[in-house]
Amino acid sequence: MSAAAARAGRVAKAARPRGISGFVVRRVLLGLLTLFLVSIVVFAATQALPGDAARAILGRDATPQSLATLRKQLHLDQPVVQQYTHWLGSFVTGDLGHSLVANEPVSQLIGTPILNSLFLMLIAGLISIPLSIVLGSVAARRRDGVFDHSSSMTLLGLAALPEFVTSIALVVLFGTTVFHILPPVSLIPPGQRPWDDWKELVLPVTALVLAVTPYIARIMRASMIEVLESDYVEMARLKGMREQTVLWRHALPNGIAPTIQVIALSLAYLAGGIVVVERVFAYPGIGNAFVEAVSNRDLPTVQALAILIAAAYVVLNVGADVATILVSPRLRTSLK
Amino acid sequence: MREDELARIDEEARARGISREELLKRAAVAGLAIYGAGGLATAAEAAVGTAKPKKGGNFRVGAAGGSSSDIIDGQDIVTNPDQARLVAGWETLVVFDQNFKITYNGLAEELAPQKNNAAVWTIRVRSGVEFHNGKTLGADDVIYSLRRLVDPKLKLFGGAALSSINPNNIKKLDNRTVRLFLKQKDVTILDALGQYVAGIVPVGYSPKAVGKAPLKQQIGTGPYMLKSFTPGQQSVHVRNPNYWRTGQPYFDQVTVLDFPDDTARVNALLGGQIDAAVQIPPAQVSVVSGHSGTKILESPTAQWTPICMRVDSAPFTDVRVRQAMRLIANRPQIVAQGLAGHGHLGNDLYAPFDPLYDHGLPQRVQDIDKAKSLLKAAGQDGLTIDLQTTNGALGQNEGAQVFAQQAKAAGVTVNVKILDSGAFYSNQYLKWTFSTDFWGTRNYLSQVAAGSLPSSPYNETHWPDAADAKFKKLYSEALQTVSLKKRTEIVHEMQTLEYDNGGYLVWGFSNFLDGYSTKLGGLIPGDKGVIPLNGFGNGFRTIWFT
Repeated sequence: MSAAAARAGRVAKAARPRGISGFVVRRVLLGLLTLFLVSIVVFAATQALPGDAARAILGRDATPQSLATLRKQLHLDQPVVQQYTHWLGSFVTGDLGHSLVANEPVSQLIGTPILNSLFLMLIAGLISIPLSIVLGSVAARRRDGVFDHSSSMTLLGLAALPEFVTSIALVVLFGTTVFHILPPVSLIPPGQRPWDDWKELVLPVTALVLAVTPYIARIMRASMIEVLESDYVEMARLKGMREQTVLWRHALPNGIAPTIQVIALSLAYLAGGIVVVERVFAYPGIGNAFVEAVSNRDLPTVQALAILIAAAYVVLNVGADVATILVSPRLRTSLK
Repeated sequence: MREDELARIDEEARARGISREELLKRAAVAGLAIYGAGGLATAAEAAVGTAKPKKGGNFRVGAAGGSSSDIIDGQDIVTNPDQARLVAGWETLVVFDQNFKITYNGLAEELAPQKNNAAVWTIRVRSGVEFHNGKTLGADDVIYSLRRLVDPKLKLFGGAALSSINPNNIKKLDNRTVRLFLKQKDVTILDALGQYVAGIVPVGYSPKAVGKAPLKQQIGTGPYMLKSFTPGQQSVHVRNPNYWRTGQPYFDQVTVLDFPDDTARVNALLGGQIDAAVQIPPAQVSVVSGHSGTKILESPTAQWTPICMRVDSAPFTDVRVRQAMRLIANRPQIVAQGLAGHGHLGNDLYAPFDPLYDHGLPQRVQDIDKAKSLLKAAGQDGLTIDLQTTNGALGQNEGAQVFAQQAKAAGVTVNVKILDSGAFYSNQYLKWTFSTDFWGTRNYLSQVAAGSLPSSPYNETHWPDAADAKFKKLYSEALQTVSLKKRTEIVHEMQTLEYDNGGYLVWGFSNFLDGYSTKLGGLIPGDKGVIPLNGFGNGFRTIWFT
């Protein structure tokens, strides 16, 4: 709890001098700088990988002549810095480049996977965030009660399991061995959208919900306990307000501030951690696209996806900081 | 079966140059009655022990691997799922049967050398075979297909084995007949034309690019026509209504799905989302066979994942070190641990399905003492060496790791370096001193051309060294020898050279392990196919939903 609260405090302090708009602008600029650095790191990392796209495309059948021809076609014969600046120049103008492997523009190649993954994240977020806030608040309200203990045990257990374990357990339970009620893998045929067949989504969404809910709920519970013990809650209760009103109108907004940071981190985690879950369920999203692009040495696609995931982190963090300020009455007033 | 029927079958078998048993088996594989409603159809069905084929259904098969680099081409593949796509749409002149023997069950009704001269070959295609667009298959298509296969600019996978074809010396004799005048005598031309990648395409098929033909131009003679294709995901094929084999194929539609992840592929099969899944990891075999509704199809292959020693690079320049390595290997243990027992033993030779394979050479067994003394004599006791490997095929990494354990007993330290495929096939590929690799099922001479000669595209071991230079001479002799008896003698001599001095440590051959739904009929266990699932049901035409 304390780390998130301290972070919220730091956010408020940093935000003080120029008001909230100045704060947002500064954070966005820093975010862009981060993305720029990420692009360099990713580019350098892909260069450090032995073997290049030409090798990966031709595989074992490569002959020196065919390699040279293909390298030239793919501009792999140019110096690294030139390759990078060339890519960056097109990137800022919105051109993600041409896939080295698939013979189509990167934007076209990753468009559908991005949409699929975003949809998966959205549904997982829409379920796990309210669920964990309610779970955490109720557990805090009934601290040391039966619900608190049993939910804590369950959530801690889930938090201890890596998501591929929960994913595989879900598959065994509902798809292949015990019950046969849900499709074990999400085969979304080309041209169809994930929402066309909700059954295909149930298991991956459940796996993601089980992966992030424990963290958010635990933070929510800790933060709510602190708030419920505070003076203003006691004051509200003494005024004779209904317990429901105290809990949801007065305690929750203050208790949720540190949780927002955790929610943002969890969503950002979803953007990257979705790779594992997508792999298990063969879900055609960015996770699978990313794994494939790396093994094929498809640099433009790797770059685009890495930047995208990094951008998701940055946006979610800036968003979380702003939201933290907006929801906490104390921080909000300190900005004025 | 009646006496006269048997006689008729024998006559038919003689006409095709095969035994009665083989003809029966072949009829069973093809699922058709050569004599209409005669006794053979019954015999064929009894041989497979399956119900009568039924038409209809959408067959969904999970292929291993695949990515956005998938292609469809009648004469080439890039990824594993491409194999399934190719055999659905295209056919070859001759085919390998379930015993890995060339049979005239393809598009050619005749394909033979001219009177013991292996430099001139005549090809005559069947009459009445139509391409998907209604065009009749003819001599021009054969000429075009062969020229495209060996076009150096296209670098087609199947072209390497056809290097003796002279594209400028192919003559059209009549509308169905073609005569090839080869650059040199070559008895392996039959094998090369039986490779599944040597598909016959119509004149004008994608002349400049591989796998780039638009959907409408993806024309072959095969049992299914391409309907849609999304690289990295799936392709849909619909039944060819004008297919030349009566009654076949049975499915209305075939969907080939990419599954890069083994677990997802198995789960999709168990969950009933697909009807068959190829390449079941050995660890999951019991899961698939123990599940109600799915079964395992196990077929032996001549696929091998050798440990390769470069004969021109120290310490392997000394033949005693190579021999020591081969004596260190405990082959039954490698097969048991590396392949979970789903394979058979190797004897440092490839091509065990070849009739020319020398089964007389004694099975090599582990002999640590002898290995130690050989190493000592070579001044290499206590040798430490890196072994580069990658996860190219089942058994490649596994074999390397088990071997490294076994080497300790002989005081040899083998550091197994597992590289990702990009690193393994980097500029160092074919230059590693000590590495693993993988090869598919081939006959001996074709394999020699592919990997055991200075001119071979993939000679990992740089065999033969100067001491065994005789090997090259023997090879060209064998290539020109039409007499089977004489050729066998030459090939056995070549195999003895490799067995004694070669750079390959061939510890075993892996089995194909495919999973399929019990609703599926027509699959034959033990089929010696080159590609999985009975060669994807011989182009999805000899399997059906019961």
